[in-house]
Amino acid sequence: MSPLQFAWRSLSRQPARAVLGLTGVAVVGALLFDMLLLSRGLIVSFRQLLESTGFDVRVTATEALPGLGPPVADASAAAETLRRLPELADVVPVRFAAAGIESPDKKAREVAIIGSETRRRGEWQVLRGADLTESTAGGRHDMVVNRTFARDHALEPGSIVRLTSTLPPKEFRVTGIVEFPFESASDGMAGVTLAGFAEAFPASEADEADLLLVASKPGVGTEAAVAAIRGARPDLHSFSIDEVLERLRQAEFSYFRQVSFVLATIASFFALLLVTTLLTVSVNQRLGEVAALRALGFSRKRIVADLVAESALLVGGGGLLSIPLGFLLARGLDSILRQMPGLPLRLHFFVFEPRALALHLGFLVLAAVIAATYPVVLATRLPIAATLRKESVS
Amino acid sequence: MSAPVAIVEARGVGKVYPMPAGPVEALRDVSFTVEPGDYVAISGPSGCGKSTLLHLLGCVDTPSAGSLLFEGRPVLAMGEEERSRIRLRRIGFVFQRFYLLPMLTAWENVELVQSEAGMPAAERRARTRELLEYVGLGDRTSHRPSQLSGGEMQRVAIARALANRPGLVLADEPTGELDDETGEQIGGLFDRVNADGTTLVIVTHNLALAARARRRLAMRSGRLLDSPVRAAP
Repeated sequence: MSPLQFAWRSLSRQPARAVLGLTGVAVVGALLFDMLLLSRGLIVSFRQLLESTGFDVRVTATEALPGLGPPVADASAAAETLRRLPELADVVPVRFAAAGIESPDKKAREVAIIGSETRRRGEWQVLRGADLTESTAGGRHDMVVNRTFARDHALEPGSIVRLTSTLPPKEFRVTGIVEFPFESASDGMAGVTLAGFAEAFPASEADEADLLLVASKPGVGTEAAVAAIRGARPDLHSFSIDEVLERLRQAEFSYFRQVSFVLATIASFFALLLVTTLLTVSVNQRLGEVAALRALGFSRKRIVADLVAESALLVGGGGLLSIPLGFLLARGLDSILRQMPGLPLRLHFFVFEPRALALHLGFLVLAAVIAATYPVVLATRLPIAATLRKESVS
Repeated sequence: MSAPVAIVEARGVGKVYPMPAGPVEALRDVSFTVEPGDYVAISGPSGCGKSTLLHLLGCVDTPSAGSLLFEGRPVLAMGEEERSRIRLRRIGFVFQRFYLLPMLTAWENVELVQSEAGMPAAERRARTRELLEYVGLGDRTSHRPSQLSGGEMQRVAIARALANRPGLVLADEPTGELDDETGEQIGGLFDRVNADGTTLVIVTHNLALAARARRRLAMRSGRLLDSPVRAAP
């Protein structure tokens, strides 16, 4: 009978204890798994968002992250210089601002406006209607709006949007309903051409860009593109997606990493405590039996193997259950966290990666071994003769 | 032709247990030989050192003084692993409280020690069947200990002790948990085991059981008393 078969029979001897152990490990394991998903979830999700735009480099005026610093001056000249670089496939100047808008209930609302060239890559996805054009038919520039904006203002392709933050108010014609990569569920967003943006915000400098979105040529690679931009315009700052994520990891996302680290540590500790307690109680209940097995000639190694196998079955079984349970829990927690206002709709806190699963399994193996350590020491250091004598007397 | 090697040879053996209140001398200057085919009973009052002696004979423990040879090899010179191997292959144990594994059937309890000794599966099966029939439990092989009576459990324990064809079987109060009638049956089984060639050393309070042995030894205060009774074979 192999140690694993022996351990299985030992566990089945007290089914209630085994079920309790498996459930405990499954619950704690699910929490651990979720914390692993959370520890990198935002980074992975944010990377997916950044990559979904189709641009792998962001160019700004200063070291501040895109949208957080001053704009790039002489944006068209800068864009033109960069477009001439053989390493780059696309350069798109982008502007951001918030504009007042008159809502159906006549109350002033605010909407985020993105000024960009007509869509080149993944700045937005058209869901209904058509994309922007440079048309100014009827004196109105084109505008694409997100679903929240469309829903709140009953907009459809062909509707007219009246911006009230300009004097006199400016009107735009809705050509399509779109989804922006970074749009939130609660906030209205709109996209216009750069000319439309200048019309909507006449006070802003006409030739500025908050950000230049850059796509490297296929096969060239992001690093080479960044190096080429730095060579051509050393006054500008270019960020690869990795660099943006690293900055976010160190600053904005570090809170979630710390929370997940603390909770993962606590979850691991409880998993260890649970399995160690169960095994220790189990060993203590059968000290006589262990001593008898040793007297019958079972080696220390065999006793160790039996206990480690029992620990592995408890942790392994509970660990396997913890994966679907963890996914369910992650889904619930993710939907709660995503209700925070202003978060991008497509941003997730809990994101599955094979790495997280591998780490989870690694932690469980470690937990099984560590949890078995104390009971193993207890069982293998058992004085056989004294224990048998004590058991006989008792 | 040389004389057969004694299974166990103890010369001036002593055992001291360190205790918080001071060392306790459980055995003093015990000299004793178990020859192949012996049927020995050791009796004496509780705490006189019978079980301690049995544990030394069975290589479960090592003496604090004197020399102890198992099949001619000094036990003190053996490591823990080697003593463990000897217990598995050369010694069978029968305990007062049986110590059958409750989650295993009678068959599995007997087979387990053979499997641990590395016996091939086919041989194990044949041996297990043979032994369970030998102890009269051929029809109870798939029963768990909780489904067996005390006498039946002790029969399974005896079958387990014989499983690896040991040179020596040690029994510690084997009838201690049984009524007189069942104890008598177990005594009969021990007689048969010895008659079939297995050396037996039994520690017991049960005078009827002790009377079955060919050699009867008495112990008192850690000492083996002189003039052991040797019954006719």
